[in-house]
Amino acid sequence: MRTLARQINILDYALSSLWRRRLKNASVLVVFTAVIFLVASFQMVTDALTGTAQEVLVNAPQITLQRMSAGRQVNIPLAYAGKLGAIYGISNIVPRVWGYYFDELTGANLTIMGLDTSRMPMGDQLRLTLAEGTFPAAGSRGSVVLGQAVRDMVRARGSQLLSLFRNDLSMASYQVAGVFSRATDILTRDLVVMSIADARDLFRIPPGQATDLCIYVANPTEIGTIARKIADLLPDTRVVTRPQILKTYRVVFGWRSGFGSICLLTALTAFVILAWDKASGLSLEEKREIAILKVLGWQTADILAVRFWESLLVSGLAFLLGVTLAYVHVVFLDGVLFRPVMVGWSVIFPPFHLAPAMNAQVFFLIFCLSVLPYLAATVIPAWHTATVRADSALSGA
Amino acid sequence: MLIELESVTKIYNQGQPNEVTALDSIDLRIEENAMVCLRGSSGSGKSTLLSIIGCIFPPTSGRAAIAGRQLARLPDRFLTLHRRRSIGFIFQRFNLLPALSVMDNISLPLLPLGVPPAERRQRARALMDRFAIRHRERFPAGQISGGELQRVAIARALVNDPPIILADEPTAHLDTGLSQVFMDLMAELHAAGKTIIITSHDPLVTEHPAIGRIIDIRDGRIHAA
Amino acid sequence: MMRPAHILLLVLIVLLAADGFLLLSSAHRRARWREQDRLRAIAVSGLGLTDLCVATEARYTRHPAVTDLVAPFMDHPGAMDHFPSGSFWAPPPRP
Repeated sequence: MRTLARQINILDYALSSLWRRRLKNASVLVVFTAVIFLVASFQMVTDALTGTAQEVLVNAPQITLQRMSAGRQVNIPLAYAGKLGAIYGISNIVPRVWGYYFDELTGANLTIMGLDTSRMPMGDQLRLTLAEGTFPAAGSRGSVVLGQAVRDMVRARGSQLLSLFRNDLSMASYQVAGVFSRATDILTRDLVVMSIADARDLFRIPPGQATDLCIYVANPTEIGTIARKIADLLPDTRVVTRPQILKTYRVVFGWRSGFGSICLLTALTAFVILAWDKASGLSLEEKREIAILKVLGWQTADILAVRFWESLLVSGLAFLLGVTLAYVHVVFLDGVLFRPVMVGWSVIFPPFHLAPAMNAQVFFLIFCLSVLPYLAATVIPAWHTATVRADSALSGA
Repeated sequence: MLIELESVTKIYNQGQPNEVTALDSIDLRIEENAMVCLRGSSGSGKSTLLSIIGCIFPPTSGRAAIAGRQLARLPDRFLTLHRRRSIGFIFQRFNLLPALSVMDNISLPLLPLGVPPAERRQRARALMDRFAIRHRERFPAGQISGGELQRVAIARALVNDPPIILADEPTAHLDTGLSQVFMDLMAELHAAGKTIIITSHDPLVTEHPAIGRIIDIRDGRIHAA
Repeated sequence: MMRPAHILLLVLIVLLAADGFLLLSSAHRRARWREQDRLRAIAVSGLGLTDLCVATEARYTRHPAVTDLVAPFMDHPGAMDHFPSGSFWAPPPRP
């Protein structure tokens, strides 16, 4: 009981000594909270995106085949699909015509996707993903399904039709047959889905060509083998497999990306400044205080405990506040501070409707990167206190 | 409490080029409830002697005992425990923490003893009443007058109710009036049964009627007892 | 009079209660998100989607998984990189 009462007394002393230097400690707390907030927000956003990608893209095409020429992707002849017949194990090949449409009025980039959905896996269930309307029947021309952002654009123009310009500036108009649900926003927000014939007509792509081929195999464990066979058979193509897509999304928001480094660098700089301030020895005033406390019967361990409590409180509070604010920022405010950075100059702002990441590992990592080094940097130099001699508070020494 | 020192020697920086012998085989016996002045110029070793009696550090060699308890070979931890319970210190310039309130300054020795806040306040207030500084309870120590400062320092030395009071050059920075008041307060404590040891070379201290004994120290040796 | 340690305890309790509430709300949100899993699976399968719709400003940010390996040299030698979103996305790993 006595020991506990003593520790609480020491905690009281640490708190009042923090309070006495409240301006300095509050600024340290604010800076530290801001750094943890920044790092935690970054971690949570990227975690949520990575997690969502891994969950969602397990259904991506097993193999995507593109043709390369002069170092860039070009249209692939449909005849290539015929050549692939020689490879045993391919169960389905679906050509797609897709690309981007720059809307001059709003400055937005739309993704136009033309394909025969009836040939795709689960293609017959696509109507379930619509918030309103129906999915046009296979081969029917002149009607489109829109993502939420595109629907909003059409609506803002007070029109029932989506009007796009072909590259010869003639206009093509489409009936809006359906609108994708908000639940699929993270995938479909900027999409315009139409029949492959309409897409060919819009982009002026000759009938014998497509943008790429989606290839499905009978046995999913054979994806790698068949991808290699395709690459051997058609050397001018690039073969992207589903595992590669998932791998891309595992590393795409890494610490190595520029923004990650900026966050990390900021955190590191702030931390070094704090640590420098703390580690640069004791002031005369502090030495006097330590000597007085020692003479009055404080153990060296008691004085170290004061230091420890001070550091633990500042860094612990900063950690709790920073992480809490980061969660509110990412989940309730849709990562409002990061979105301009992540989506850049995109006109279509996808709402971050993501599965919230409450990953204990992330919190532990941030804890290890913030609180522990701060404790180390502030408590270890406090061994100085042990070198302050109690009798230096006396006149003769 | 009886204080006994037997051939106590203190050497600083032993074995190094700047080795200094501060105390050279001192033999000294201070009876319980004595009021003693250690007189000597600066560098004479009187502060070192006070530190050894005050359990701040052990002697390099020799025997030191308070109330029959040997201190010479106690590790730092136990010296501190002993100091916490038996010794009250009054420093030159009083060494209060200027940012702390008078109340907090007086309670400082009670914190490591694990005394709960209510009892701390009660004990500190009793002393503040006794020394007429209760109205300064919440003032920072840096903002009160010299006379009050002195009484706060004495209150702090008494708060853990120690049998021995050690005062280190207490009048060095006080005017004559305050020095006189200080010595009268010490005499009062002495009358109440405390053992009091004061280092000083101030005649106001050495010639005070309550001082029972003057110990002259020069070059780490006791000259006349 | 409250002692400082009690004030700290109070602050911690308030913070932890807030965090507990956030934890519960995140579980709730997660459950709601789970209910829609099937819709997203259908959309990805049925349309053959390869990428998340996050940054729509450039090919290599809208479709990082299927763009050219040398994506930064997109259109002509003077083409500017899209900052800052372009630096948010690491280039795709080599196959």
